[in-house]
Amino acid sequence: MRMRALLHLDGVSVRHEIHDDLGDAAWGPPRPRNVTASLTAGEVVLLLGPSGCGKSTLTLTVNGLIPQVIGSHLDGTVTVGAHDTCAHDTDALDTRGLDTRDTPVPRLAAEVAMVFQDPDAQIVTATVLDEVCFGPENLLLPAAEVLERAEEALRRVGLWERRHDDPAVLSGGGRQRLAIACALALRTPLLVLDEPTANLDPAGVEEVFRTLREVTAGRDRAVLLVEHNLDAAIDLVDRVIVLDAAGRVVLDGPARRTLAEHAGKLVELGVWLPAAASAALRLRAAGITLDPLPLTPAELATALDAITELPALRQREATPASQQREATPASQQREATPAPQRRGAGPAPRRRGARSAPERTAIGVRGLSVTRGSARVLADVDLDIGAGEFVAVVGPNGAGKTTLAQALAGVITTRRGAVTVDGLDPVTADPRMLAERVGFVFQNPEHQFITSRVEDELGYGLRVRKLPDDRVAARVGDLLDRLGLRELRTVHPFLLSGGQKRRLSVGAALVTRPHVLVLDEPTFGQDAERAAELLALLDGLHSDGTTVVVVSHDMTLVAEHATRVVVLGAGRVIGDGTPDEIYADADLLAAADLRPPPLARAARALVNHPGWHGLTRLADLPALAPAP
Amino acid sequence: MSVLSLRTYNPVVKVLAPVPAMIVSIGSRDLWTPALFGAVALVMLLVSGGLRGRTLLAVLFGPVLLVAVMTVSFGVWTDPARVDHTIALATLGPFTLWSGALEIGLATGLRVASVVLLALLAGLTTDGPDLVRSMISHLRMPYRIGYAGFAAIRFVPRFRSDLEIIRLAHRVRGVDGGRGPLATGRRYSGYAVPLLAGAIRHGDRVSLAMEARGFGAHRTRTERRHVPLRARDAVLATWLLALCYLVPHLSGAL
Repeated sequence: MRMRALLHLDGVSVRHEIHDDLGDAAWGPPRPRNVTASLTAGEVVLLLGPSGCGKSTLTLTVNGLIPQVIGSHLDGTVTVGAHDTCAHDTDALDTRGLDTRDTPVPRLAAEVAMVFQDPDAQIVTATVLDEVCFGPENLLLPAAEVLERAEEALRRVGLWERRHDDPAVLSGGGRQRLAIACALALRTPLLVLDEPTANLDPAGVEEVFRTLREVTAGRDRAVLLVEHNLDAAIDLVDRVIVLDAAGRVVLDGPARRTLAEHAGKLVELGVWLPAAASAALRLRAAGITLDPLPLTPAELATALDAITELPALRQREATPASQQREATPASQQREATPAPQRRGAGPAPRRRGARSAPERTAIGVRGLSVTRGSARVLADVDLDIGAGEFVAVVGPNGAGKTTLAQALAGVITTRRGAVTVDGLDPVTADPRMLAERVGFVFQNPEHQFITSRVEDELGYGLRVRKLPDDRVAARVGDLLDRLGLRELRTVHPFLLSGGQKRRLSVGAALVTRPHVLVLDEPTFGQDAERAAELLALLDGLHSDGTTVVVVSHDMTLVAEHATRVVVLGAGRVIGDGTPDEIYADADLLAAADLRPPPLARAARALVNHPGWHGLTRLADLPALAPAP
Repeated sequence: MSVLSLRTYNPVVKVLAPVPAMIVSIGSRDLWTPALFGAVALVMLLVSGGLRGRTLLAVLFGPVLLVAVMTVSFGVWTDPARVDHTIALATLGPFTLWSGALEIGLATGLRVASVVLLALLAGLTTDGPDLVRSMISHLRMPYRIGYAGFAAIRFVPRFRSDLEIIRLAHRVRGVDGGRGPLATGRRYSGYAVPLLAGAIRHGDRVSLAMEARGFGAHRTRTERRHVPLRARDAVLATWLLALCYLVPHLSGAL
């Protein structure tokens, strides 16, 4: 029997409309460019490529949203649904399938189901059950069949028991599982998922991938997945298609073999490898060759254990920040409080005995409690952050992370005397004075934009302080260069790309040269490349002596960059230590619903090399030359 | 489902049938007509509304409070030239409280309260989505409009939290045009761009997701939950229309 393609892409190129400085419209360069590929039933295909290469665009052509709804220019043809529905009569059937260029999008919904990135933007109705029924109802199926499909789909993603709930009360991961159930209820031969976990916390990512593994286990449909998180996706996919920055297909083959054999090329293209593969590449440069290239933490551990002798891990360079850390009370606290007592609903950890004041405390928090309505968001939090620390605040959703960060920067008002930032109390201080001490960057950069030009946006914080124009201009010019925004200085902030908006929002907070910078989920919803760009900026600030506090779900970010991790649970500090210490505390991680980064998981699984158990970041791996 | 429960009645009937009664009540010039309409609606709500807790308290005491407040405030604010032929109840310095003024206030309060109570017949016993379903099947409203309404309702909480964050973000950056309505207006116009940009993007995404799930594939959709139109709805409508005739006559007799 001939395998039939459920999706066939033939020379597909898409050009988006772009506007030049004068506002004239033109068609931009094709992204993707000339893509030809077929997907057959049972395949799970991962689409990879650097950001901006047109991965998401390609997924939108599959169900006709491009060019029918989004007016981009499509070349080539996309055909879906050429499956044989009637095995004994295949030759007589029309097997040409449907051209997505002119088959109406809603009709294509019976052939292609989509799951998008933002779970909130996919919910239409008021209950979980109604939501899953929405698609089959649109297809005019009889009510009994609608219900039968809805039940099957909800049971498959584990939400049947919650069918009467409002989708809004589900967690992010729960809502994305609901979106998957909605796609399943359409019973399409083809399922397309566009970065389904980019907006989720680590627990949600795990939840969604667990569901996807179950859904794809039967290999009864074709799945096209766009996903940056290769660590989560690698054991799910059969095949990868890799696009280069110009949107062309450069690799197309079995997933494991393609990744292992072309790892170097993928890195060159700007595609992010699984952490295990990145670690192995780094070790290869240090003379330790792991063959075949490990792709999961377990494989990395096995490969390392097979080597009889490993060199010692690199010692962390003693930066001024980490030296200061030794003097901060946080380390005393860790010695004073044994791990098992740090958790649970007991009182927040208190420091024992008299302690010498740290050299310089950037942020002091004493008995901070915040209530919202009748709910207690923060309960009696004590925290000292020394000048020059890079602190990550982590914890499950609803633990009070954002509230703590906002209280530190005076964004929300708290009890007088509860917070001291660089010697000022945010509650009583003049807001303009405070902005010279502490900058706050919101999760969505757009929320904080005020003016209509990039350079005005950067200078705003100085102009409200009535600084002379020449000083404002000098400082703004300096920041434009540092952030790489000089070419864009007259553009409206809302017209920047995602990464540029993020850099601008950080720049606007930096313009007053605050000693403390607080960021709320700065990498949320951004791809790995944009995130890396931002972290390079933060690392630069940190090495210049700025105290950085980041609220984040991104465990790799935390492991690779932070000097200290504060774990919140139900409004209390339940853990406080260096990333290595936190990731070594399995009970704490479980209590806070956190997962150690893949590298730390591999390190802890090592049997023959106990000296490597503390490994949490790539920079710790032995290398011939010092890391750049 | 009990015939006695207003929840079992058709939402469109509950919304439309009280409208003539509201018009008659607003147009009335006496005290008895609005009072009777209000009383009938209140009794219907208490007997068949299945109200509980705070809602019950609000329905019991809200209209009374409303009438009291309006009586007193009209009593104070009514132009004395219109009512100075009535009895002067009290004099305080240059101010005289006329019985006519109180009567105007009472009548106005009763009219407003009766309209509110008649509207609550549907308002407190109807589920929003059921109303939309009923409008689609019984008023032949296109389902696209109905579902656009659903989606819009889901925007509201998102809008509210976005606005709150934008307000905080602008404040922390030192946006402070000072006090007064002008400065406040300027401040809020500054919130409009980020708020609208976010809303438009969100709306686009929602509509793409809806189309991707087959919304608009056919002229009609499967309705799993059929909202019935039954004999009891005809009875309810007849009763409410009959009130429009009975109440003014009865109050004329009183």
